[in-house]
Amino acid sequence: MSAFVQYLVSGIAVGCGFALLASGLVAIHRVTRVVNFAQGMFAVVGGMTAGSLLSSGLPHGAAEAAAVLVAGAVGLAVGFAATGKRGTSPQSALIVTLGLGFLAYAVEIMIWGDNPRSHPGLGGSVVLFGAHVQKQSFLVIGVAAAVFALLGLFFGRTYTGKALTACASNPYAARAVGIDVVRMGLLAFALGGMLGGLGGVLLTPLQPISYNGDVLLITNGFAAAILGGLDRPGVALAGALTLGVAESMVAGYGAASYQTVVALVLMLTIMMVRASRRTALQEEAAR
Amino acid sequence: MSVSARRSARRGPLPGSPGTAAAIAVAGVALALPLVLPGPQVSVYVLLLISATVVTGLSMLMGFAGQVSLGQAAFTMIGAYTAALTATHGVPTWAGLLLAPAVAGTAAALVGVPLLRLRGHQLAFATLAVQLILLSVVGRQEWAGGDIGLQGVPRLTIGGYEFADDVAYAYLALGVLGVTVLVTRNIVRSRPGRGLRALATSEVAAASAGVPVALYKQAVFALSAAFAGLAGGVYAYYIGYVAPGSFPVLLSFEYVVMVVVGGAGTIWGALAGATAVTLLLQVLNDVGTREGMPASAPAVLSYAVYGLLLVLVVLFMPKGLVPTVADRWRRRAPAGRGAAGAEPEPEPAPVK
Repeated sequence: MSAFVQYLVSGIAVGCGFALLASGLVAIHRVTRVVNFAQGMFAVVGGMTAGSLLSSGLPHGAAEAAAVLVAGAVGLAVGFAATGKRGTSPQSALIVTLGLGFLAYAVEIMIWGDNPRSHPGLGGSVVLFGAHVQKQSFLVIGVAAAVFALLGLFFGRTYTGKALTACASNPYAARAVGIDVVRMGLLAFALGGMLGGLGGVLLTPLQPISYNGDVLLITNGFAAAILGGLDRPGVALAGALTLGVAESMVAGYGAASYQTVVALVLMLTIMMVRASRRTALQEEAAR
Repeated sequence: MSVSARRSARRGPLPGSPGTAAAIAVAGVALALPLVLPGPQVSVYVLLLISATVVTGLSMLMGFAGQVSLGQAAFTMIGAYTAALTATHGVPTWAGLLLAPAVAGTAAALVGVPLLRLRGHQLAFATLAVQLILLSVVGRQEWAGGDIGLQGVPRLTIGGYEFADDVAYAYLALGVLGVTVLVTRNIVRSRPGRGLRALATSEVAAASAGVPVALYKQAVFALSAAFAGLAGGVYAYYIGYVAPGSFPVLLSFEYVVMVVVGGAGTIWGALAGATAVTLLLQVLNDVGTREGMPASAPAVLSYAVYGLLLVLVVLFMPKGLVPTVADRWRRRAPAGRGAAGAEPEPEPAPVK
């Protein structure tokens, strides 16, 4: 029982990290139709920046917030490169973000070297149903819940959030009522960068991160997001939590080395099932 | 280096009727190279030819069928492991070389049944997932040597002749690349090739014009995987050692960079892309390992170049190096000559 609780909580925490990543992916895809391969890179940048700022003496809280802002700026830059040039198709933009991921590797190795890095989060653990659970896990869950509540308010209650939703549902109509679709796309990228960065900042104390850890992060984020067709943040959240718990259970009870396989097989299955419900005609009409 | 540079210049495309002459010239230079290159450069040349073989197949998949595979190295890996496993279990190596593409192609055909229902970014992620799964699973298998891999793969022997040194492998890789290019060229110019181009533009339109869309996609996916498997087989016999670490996800991305840089959907593009990227990396590696450079310099430089190349080419030269240069050339050339002998070049589909 105690082991189960431990796996469950840490699984939910990791799932919350994936959910932040996935919601960034969804925010970007809804507005710009671009699948952002650099989303995992935002998390790496966020996590590593936070570590550097902490070791340079910045207090907890300020360092993390600054790292999230840095990741947001990186997101904005990626947005400029991927959607700034007129006539870049979403498919080409995917390849562009792949290339930007490579560029980020070069910069990350220059700044932080090629070893996995971590930084101290909330230390210590609490005993829950006889299980030792890291406090950081609760921090991740709490922050993620707060962020999702804020996102809900942002998209539902503010003018900018509604403008973003308008661009997502019909870019042409959005432009007709005077919304700058390109700027909204960039805003979505900045938001995605911040969400990805926050995921990285929160997850790094739980599991060390290295420059090429972004591939696993993006596949996990994509797996969660694809459950809602890359368009529904709520479903992405559910998907991410399921994924996190499933991976944690497999790692705890089965073989640790198969936890990524579980996530990937889950992702493949979801995509197949979704694909079998859509015909080529529907997909081409949606383009 | 000067020899390589001259060759890459000659590899440039010549439109229309001089195409055959150019092909013969390139083939001649390619055949002479193993003999004139200095020793260490020959091994770079062999690896370049192996990459070019994979990239030719991937270019056909991306340019003609319009499908992106981010996991092509998975099939190189399957081919290499097939060759290594059969050879270490006493199967004649020539049979192993034939089995490598067969197993890789069959694996792709099986995986392709569910996978190819996906399109665009979903297929890209699905192929990436397949490779990650394969890497993770193979790393845990005792019989495949786990993460350490298989060592002591014997050298390739065909009819009593043992391929022993770099020059022999250069000719083997050239032969393999030649076969790949010929098969690809004949497919591209045939009726199925036109069908593939049609389905890259619109699957619905192609299907209503009578193109068996699912079958063709399946076939081209399996074929490109078979090329990758063949290249993997040569790699295993040449290096004599295979491990999951030899086929990272980055290798798959590298193949995509080569395809995009050269120009998807053209054979010349695949060859030029593989050559350009390999030579560039080689130069940067020389620079990065000079004295006074930090230890991480080669990695930083190569990542930066991959990234910059990919971004700049996709944004500013979306058709890729070879089609862009060929277009310029054609516009400059006198109209009479261009129209008379020019065979209509198939327009590759845009990369999706």
